[in-house]
Amino acid sequence: MDLDSIKKYSQYSYDINLQKKNALQKAASEQIVVYQNHIFSADALTICLVKTLSQTHKQFFMLDSNSNPVMVSDPDDFLKKLIQANQQSLHTYHQLIERFKKKEK
Amino acid sequence: MDKGILLYCFDTELTSYQKIANRCVKQIEKYLKMPITIITDQNTFEAWPNRPTCDYNIIEIDRANTKLGKPWYNVERFKAFEHSPYKVTAVLDVDYFCYSDKILKLMESNEDFLVHDRAHDVTYRQSMKYDRESMINLVWATVLIFKRTQKVKNIFDTVGHVKKNYQHYCNLYRISYKNYRNDYAFAIALNQVNGFTHTEFIKDSIATVPTDVKILNVDDEGILIRNGESTVLLNGQDLHVLNKEVANV
Repeated sequence: MDLDSIKKYSQYSYDINLQKKNALQKAASEQIVVYQNHIFSADALTICLVKTLSQTHKQFFMLDSNSNPVMVSDPDDFLKKLIQANQQSLHTYHQLIERFKKKEK
Repeated sequence: MDKGILLYCFDTELTSYQKIANRCVKQIEKYLKMPITIITDQNTFEAWPNRPTCDYNIIEIDRANTKLGKPWYNVERFKAFEHSPYKVTAVLDVDYFCYSDKILKLMESNEDFLVHDRAHDVTYRQSMKYDRESMINLVWATVLIFKRTQKVKNIFDTVGHVKKNYQHYCNLYRISYKNYRNDYAFAIALNQVNGFTHTEFIKDSIATVPTDVKILNVDDEGILIRNGESTVLLNGQDLHVLNKEVANV
């Protein structure tokens, strides 16, 4: 058993996990969207809700991130902004993971 | 003026906050592009080389406070409502460096008063956990975003009252940290003004660089830190840098 190489691998795993955790927090910050003066998170749940409601309603009500009600009058525009923020944040995260994969090879 | 940034900057015998403020101002200029007002004292103002082009308001300060055994004079924040010339204000710690336009976005919100209730250590050693040190959840007065409304005036007036009677409120909320701390004063004021119910928070967590990590490089794109054997580049997100050595990097 080569303890030195295990120690090195452990340190490497720690570094990767640390950077992944920081990148996820960064993604959460990047997902903050202010729409019609209300704060939302452009996460999967919000996107799915807006997409689902927009299929049957031209305008609808939902809650912002502080549980205030908001009337969404242009669901397409809102959805576009949410998806843009969501994909931008995940693109950055994806690039980081790809860098790790290359390092591992 | 519609929107702007308010900074508090008071040098102590041990720390040159003006140097840190210079970096903070650069970051605001790059990512927020907003007018800045700096509240400072005469000593700091006069000894400030490369003083950035901002509006300055020079005030008399209370020099009695300490933080972790060191002099720390940043106790004037409860007057931010009075000091701010803006309709919408973001008060930032001078060691809060913007690497995104998040603050700009939040200032578009219709909330009267916003503050963070979460912060995390970027080295993930749980050094930002304070949940066992009082009966009230801490808020992070590092970033305060507010409008000029009666509710917000009430909050700041209450912070002033809490500051004046701080030991009483420490006992009431069983706060173990006895020196004045803005974070607890705002947490108490929000709790009182909101009728002991909930408060609106900024939903993400403040990325915090703790005091004991080595800062290898700081530029307008990010910060390179070293913790033990790990080197981490932090960019694209706002950072609260607790290690005051950042002034000398």
